[in-house]
Amino acid sequence: MFKHLFKLIWNKKKQNFLLMTEMLVSFLVLFAVFTLMMYYYDNYKKPMGLEYENVWVINYGNAYQSKNTDSLNLYYETLRKTIKSLPHVREISFTSGNTPFSQQTNNGGMTIKGKHIDGINNYTVEDSYKDVLSLTLLEGRWYSKEDAVSKIRPVIIDNNLKEAAFGKQSAVGQLLGNDDDKVKMKVIGVVQAVKKDGNYSNPGPGEYFRTDTGSFRWLNKILVKVDPGSDAAFEGKLYKTMANYMKNSNVEIEHLTNKLRTTNYFALVPMIVLGIVSTFLVINVALGLFGVLWYNINKRKGEIGLRRAIGATGNSVSAQLVSESMILATLALIVGAFFAVQFPLLNVFDLPASIYIEGILLSVLFVYLLVLICSLYPGKQAAAIYPAVALHEE
Amino acid sequence: MIRLQNIEKVYRTDTIETLALNSVSLDVAKGEFLSIMGPSGCGKSTLLNIMGLLDAPSKGEIRIDDQKTGGMNDKQLAQFRNKKLGFIFQSYHLINDLQVLDNVELPLLYRDTTAKQRRELAAEALEKVGLANRLKHFPTQLSGGQRQRVAIARAIVGRPEIILADEPTGNLDSAMGNEIMEILLNLNRTDGTTIVMVTHDENMAHKTHRLVRLFDGAQVL
Repeated sequence: MFKHLFKLIWNKKKQNFLLMTEMLVSFLVLFAVFTLMMYYYDNYKKPMGLEYENVWVINYGNAYQSKNTDSLNLYYETLRKTIKSLPHVREISFTSGNTPFSQQTNNGGMTIKGKHIDGINNYTVEDSYKDVLSLTLLEGRWYSKEDAVSKIRPVIIDNNLKEAAFGKQSAVGQLLGNDDDKVKMKVIGVVQAVKKDGNYSNPGPGEYFRTDTGSFRWLNKILVKVDPGSDAAFEGKLYKTMANYMKNSNVEIEHLTNKLRTTNYFALVPMIVLGIVSTFLVINVALGLFGVLWYNINKRKGEIGLRRAIGATGNSVSAQLVSESMILATLALIVGAFFAVQFPLLNVFDLPASIYIEGILLSVLFVYLLVLICSLYPGKQAAAIYPAVALHEE
Repeated sequence: MIRLQNIEKVYRTDTIETLALNSVSLDVAKGEFLSIMGPSGCGKSTLLNIMGLLDAPSKGEIRIDDQKTGGMNDKQLAQFRNKKLGFIFQSYHLINDLQVLDNVELPLLYRDTTAKQRRELAAEALEKVGLANRLKHFPTQLSGGQRQRVAIARAIVGRPEIILADEPTGNLDSAMGNEIMEILLNLNRTDGTTIVMVTHDENMAHKTHRLVRLFDGAQVL
């Protein structure tokens, strides 16, 4: 029977071409949506790598500048002490602009043993950074004062960079740098990669550099860990303290929880847009399928009557119509899957192959389900046609 | 072979009730070639549909090959039609998207047969109606007479005991009509197939063993 149906479909290929094209396009759009969804879900399942609750970010620009490094350091150390002396402040840390959920990035690449690692986030941090964000230390140690005088420049990396650079072996004590770098850095610790661009972003790879005496010239953010329940009154007090200390500076205080919400929202926008497009497309395909099958039943009443006369039951007529739709869907999906597998094969967007495969499987399942649902009712209607009536109408 | 007892068929709509067949009783013997005649709308096709179990009577009993058909469900009726009956229609009812051989194979698709058996039986049936050289043609590439011969091949491919033909020569000119009639007569003579044929053509009807006339849903001869 399958061969018979395939022959019937093949001989009507011109009539079926448009419907198959519609199924193919919907598969491709659904593939994009599901792949994106799986990518987001996969990232969502990964640990955040930091604790953002009760962490505030103070942005300051146009701050005090001095050619004298000592007076510059004194200025910022005094500010540190002032802020730390405020009630509700547990810890503070001066840091580079690429704080979590800030939309600012500072990244680069590195070639290690001929393998290029791209998109490495570079964070400039203080010794207190780990405690402010409660980073998870996986190997080695975090920075301490002794690192200021170490012979080889120390670096702390995240587990993603560790895997990319050193595989499964321990990274602590290893030298890190481009193949052609004469001076390399020594890895002293490995931390859990952080999702700096929100819940749906891919964490890491990243490397953390310790601030030095000249860092205050360009650092422009302070992370402040506050007590739970610290309120707007305290925020006002903190703002006033900052504003009074940095008279010419533009001070702004943000909460990481709010910034995460905004970042997540912006991450979801492309998925929402694709979702809306695919919903319209799916509705279009569903209506098209339903219409074509309905039209087929009316056009093929004679054939349905004949099949009933020569031995087909109502259910087998219904099954035939549903099977025809499913075969059409299969042909469209084979073509669609051919294009879809090119993405993992050519590594188009640098996503893991499993994400693409999950996207393909979900789209295939969805298209089959859609076609099945759209075929069931017209198929049932065909089964209800009385053979004598169908043959007479022809 | 076929026994109809007090068959009545009433078509009902919200406002009108039409009596298509009024207490028709008819016996068709095994190996008989019976023709049914009557003016348009007298119930000939309705009677043939009821005999072919394509339509259910409002009243009365149908026995085919000593089997009561009244209590059969959809599956049993389908199997019965597939094994015992062959149908020929005025408008051929061929599937234009399938080649001649595939059209003839159709009834065997609903039986437990292999693809090879189906091919062989269909080719044999087409040879019997003189279309062995048209296996790969599509129905649209054939003349009316050839199409009807394909329909006959399809009707006989499953070797049914009964063939029900609804005006098989109605769409053909007299020469083609005679050709088709010869094939049917030959099937009846050589294979002993029981044939019931509805026709408007007196000449064709007189070539059969017996003629039944209907008028306003009742048997008049």
